[in-house]
Amino acid sequence: MVKLDADKDYPLFEKHPEYIRTFTGKSLDDISIDNIKSGMLTADDCRISPETLELQAQIQESFGNPQVAMNFRRAAEMTAIPDERILEIYNAMRPGISTKKELLEIADELEREYSAKMNAQLIREAAEVYEKRDMLRRKND
Amino acid sequence: MKRSKRFEKLEKMPINQDGFAYEWEEAGLVAMDSPYDPLPGVKVENGVIVEMDGIRREDFDSLDRYIADYGIDAAAAEASMAIDSLEIAKMLVDINVPREEIVRICCGCTPAKLVEIVRHLNVVEIMMAQMKMRTRKTPANQAHATNLDDNPVLIAADAAEEAARGFAELETTCALARYAPFNAMALMIGAQAGRAGVLNQCSMEEATELALGMRGFTSYAETLSVYGTETVLIDGGDTAYSKAFLASAYASRGIKIRYTSGTGSEVLMGNAERKSMLYLEARCLLLTRACGVQGVQNGSINAIPLVAAVPDGFRAIAAENLMASMLNIEVASGNDTAFTHSDFRRGAKLMMQFMPGTDYVTSGYGGIPNFDNVFAGSNQDCDDYDDWYTLQRDMRVDGGIHPITEEEALAVRSRAAKAMQAVFSGLGLPEISDEEVEAAAYAYSYKDMPARNKAKDMKAAENMMERGITAIDIIKILFESGFEDIAENVMNLLKQRVTGDYLHTASFLDENFKVHSAVNDRNDYMGPGTGYRLSGERWEKLKEKTNALRPQDI
Repeated sequence: MVKLDADKDYPLFEKHPEYIRTFTGKSLDDISIDNIKSGMLTADDCRISPETLELQAQIQESFGNPQVAMNFRRAAEMTAIPDERILEIYNAMRPGISTKKELLEIADELEREYSAKMNAQLIREAAEVYEKRDMLRRKND
Repeated sequence: MKRSKRFEKLEKMPINQDGFAYEWEEAGLVAMDSPYDPLPGVKVENGVIVEMDGIRREDFDSLDRYIADYGIDAAAAEASMAIDSLEIAKMLVDINVPREEIVRICCGCTPAKLVEIVRHLNVVEIMMAQMKMRTRKTPANQAHATNLDDNPVLIAADAAEEAARGFAELETTCALARYAPFNAMALMIGAQAGRAGVLNQCSMEEATELALGMRGFTSYAETLSVYGTETVLIDGGDTAYSKAFLASAYASRGIKIRYTSGTGSEVLMGNAERKSMLYLEARCLLLTRACGVQGVQNGSINAIPLVAAVPDGFRAIAAENLMASMLNIEVASGNDTAFTHSDFRRGAKLMMQFMPGTDYVTSGYGGIPNFDNVFAGSNQDCDDYDDWYTLQRDMRVDGGIHPITEEEALAVRSRAAKAMQAVFSGLGLPEISDEEVEAAAYAYSYKDMPARNKAKDMKAAENMMERGITAIDIIKILFESGFEDIAENVMNLLKQRVTGDYLHTASFLDENFKVHSAVNDRNDYMGPGTGYRLSGERWEKLKEKTNALRPQDI
């Protein structure tokens, strides 16, 4: 597929509503009062999908902010991770909380369970830097 | 000594109740130029920054490393750093140099270089550069809605009035943390009752804030603090890596975020490593860019009493707002903390962002009396609306809000309170009485509200979260109780959330849920006749003044 362009394709809501699918594969039109009234719409139906985040990453890339694009791509990977697990991993990444081994295990889990390669890479890098800068949990703590 | 009556009077003026200090470089109590600030420099080998501002890669701390690896465009670094800082400073105020070219150069600059560039500018030049460099063409504004009692009916009414006045973002927090679900929900319902498309946030600790966002009660978050030294960042419970992960977590749920930084925070947290406040802020901004976060709330924020105490303080604050724009980052430019006893001084401070315009001129105008502001008071509150409007009218400047009539305010306040009454009833939450609805419409502050049973409210709020109530339940109840328009507005926010257009740089949604961001509303200022010009219907609106005479009155 052709990469999206900030000038031509943004905002997606106006220019390409047909590209938008929610986390559960619903279209924008499926988010309707009728579907809400009849109980046909759940909270998961109103979550952003990894595909949409990838489209938005392409927009930022052509807008000249590769870092924001990378953030959106990490976010795309994270859509698969449950809320609670995301918060646990965030806490594990805080300074002085985890050992190097624990961080590396999380990185492996992210790759294995959620194919979250970029996030795994971020955590592996954190493990290396934390070790160097004394930001890991001391083993006896 | 026999006292001069004039000096005696002067001593008692409000300005002399403020605190002041001379620079103390060793403690980092210096605005924008410390002898301990490093000299700019960069070395790149095989596409990797191996030396930055005099520190070699093997000696990088975690913050240096993250900035060097992700924040600075290594391919542009050597070329950018080779340009004389004075030349770049001149480009900033040169109407013939396009904004994009300066952004490209600045994205290859180190923290020390960014500071060296803005040090060349005086305050008027900083304002000129700010006008040209802010990312979005149309300026916008944000308001706080809180009250000391966490009264949710009042929050909804206040949010509705603020939204009707034109604030594009609303922020609340709690006096008591257990009220968070009610406050967030009240802010959302009130905002959508006041003006369709207003974004809303509830500032809490990470887990709660993220949970509220995931439920659809909030659409953005901004109190994700970053600091310019590794020690203080760690003291704040984070690292560059954990903060980057958290940023992506929000985006993965379709929630807009910006970071919070600001000069003086490191001194306040007790470890500025002898660096100037502005140098440390430059590091925060490059960290923000490195994490891929679209925007920042800066301009000293909580530490402003400290920054305003030292010489060059206001200039440093204006310069830090500008540096964010130079890095193509959205800036929500402070003016959200009470810091002075002098009305003269707080007005002058505001002008430095008000006149040039920023993406969000304040990151929290107190749309409530300051004593009800749980964020400890803003630089402006609800008593200042007519001053703000008059200044917009006097100077033909768009500060992001517009006058409304008393009837309009009462109508939206009342409707928001009634919608809250319906939602509380529909969700089986403690009753909101007709008396409360009436009081909220006419209230000045929490003191005008009938007391609620707080213990019962907080228990119900907790229970509401345990029951898994989300925005979808709220939409259904609103629709079934005759608030179809508010129901649709909340639903349209969910559509925006699955689309993600507002995740981009400097976004706001207009009343038709059309997104305006730096991507599709680019600041194209290139001198007189270009950029944002206040005219037409908008200018007519900002001219309105109920007590101004018309020709036929004379």
